[in-house]
Amino acid sequence: MSALLTLENVGMQFAVRPDHESGQHTVFEGINLILNEGDRLGIVGRNGAGKSTLLRIMAKIYAPATGSVIWAPGVTVSLLSLGLGFKNELTGRDNAYLAGLLQGLTKNAAKQCLVSIEAFCELGDYFDEPVKTYSAGMRARLGFATALLNNASVLLIDEVLSVGDKEFREKAKLALEDQFSDRRAIVLVSHTDAQINNLCDSAIFLESAGIAAEGEAGLVVAEYANR
Amino acid sequence: MNNLSIPQSLTLMNVMATLSLKADAQRYFFGYLWWILEPLLWVGVFYLVFEVLLGTGRADFLVFLAVGKLTFIWFSKSVSQSANSLLGSRGLIGKMDAPKWLFPLAVCHEGLYKQVAVFALLIVMLLYEGYAPSAAWLWLVPLAITQYLLIVGCGMLAALLVCMRQDFQLLVQLGMVFLLFMSGIFWDIDSIGNAALRENLLLVNPLASLIDLYRTVLMDGSAPLLTQWLTVLVESVVILAVLVWAYRALHYWIARRVVTQ
Repeated sequence: MSALLTLENVGMQFAVRPDHESGQHTVFEGINLILNEGDRLGIVGRNGAGKSTLLRIMAKIYAPATGSVIWAPGVTVSLLSLGLGFKNELTGRDNAYLAGLLQGLTKNAAKQCLVSIEAFCELGDYFDEPVKTYSAGMRARLGFATALLNNASVLLIDEVLSVGDKEFREKAKLALEDQFSDRRAIVLVSHTDAQINNLCDSAIFLESAGIAAEGEAGLVVAEYANR
Repeated sequence: MNNLSIPQSLTLMNVMATLSLKADAQRYFFGYLWWILEPLLWVGVFYLVFEVLLGTGRADFLVFLAVGKLTFIWFSKSVSQSANSLLGSRGLIGKMDAPKWLFPLAVCHEGLYKQVAVFALLIVMLLYEGYAPSAAWLWLVPLAITQYLLIVGCGMLAALLVCMRQDFQLLVQLGMVFLLFMSGIFWDIDSIGNAALRENLLLVNPLASLIDLYRTVLMDGSAPLLTQWLTVLVESVVILAVLVWAYRALHYWIARRVVTQ
């Protein structure tokens, strides 16, 4: 079993107030983690424990304050989250096209994906309206569909299944399960215990002191629930 | 350092610029017409104040003002809009490892597309005012490229400063007003009697030097003074090179700063 991603003694700090460099808040420290080929790893923890920050370090968006992160050669990483990644003045179609290019697709490939994205979103005529006119649910639909436009070998998923209506959540869950067979490894952050239990083999319980528990997904989720 | 290659990033930057232009045009009733309407209105306002009300005494003041103001607006609008480009892209920067120079560059590139239309307008204005086309007008291309490099460098600097402290947003606006008065837009740099002072002003303010060069080329129909042009070119390239280095060195710091502000 080969390691795709290795975290060695990783820690992260942020300025307490962005305006002041002094006064650092430690998000977590001493994280040691190896993500192997075929791993389906879940991350649980309370709000502010640093789950999203840890994913951003894995996705090469942040550099850790301490420790090191080693990606195996040729490993590509993509972060799937439903943040405000859209340009409000652009239409859903233009945003989807831009999202494709941002994830490394060629112009033609990004254009070809628009048909399937439009069908998946079920936004109707709104697909050609500016995103600023969308409801939160419509944004979530577009966000989910565009976030999967990549062939990254490691997919990092940050709480994407807790938005939208019931019908959409079901559809998104099925689309995500499809992804599980295509990727070399997956890391899933979720507050829904059942999702971690159903989709992951192993899990870690993250706290500010570091990893509070790790191992088989069901056991870690139970440990988290009992704290 | 990130998942996108340089050609991919440049393609992306161009698409960001063109999509933003399209969205802009759809937002306004006059759409793309604003590309030339807005600069023309600026020239009209300055003409009203400095020629109609105050009277400059220059027969060629309209063209003199248009060359200065139309090239200055390109600089000031691009740099001002670039200033917020990193913070304004918080969502994207927090989601993916894209090169950070992409964001101010896309804004500057948007300005370049608009400026092509403005230069066409300027040429029409020159012809209408009786200026004979000259081979020296071809210098417009290298001068515009030089100004583009200067704009990108200054735009990247403004975006980085605002990323450090949002207070710089206010200072960038103030800086643009300062440059408006210091770049010889509605007054002639040659009217400075002290030659050493004039030379120093052109040296420390490449924008003033560029505007002077545009006037030499377009109004006098002469080739620019090579040393003057090369000085601006070197200054622009150095500013840009320093900023490219800074963006590479601060790649992760920028992401953290943008997301956590």
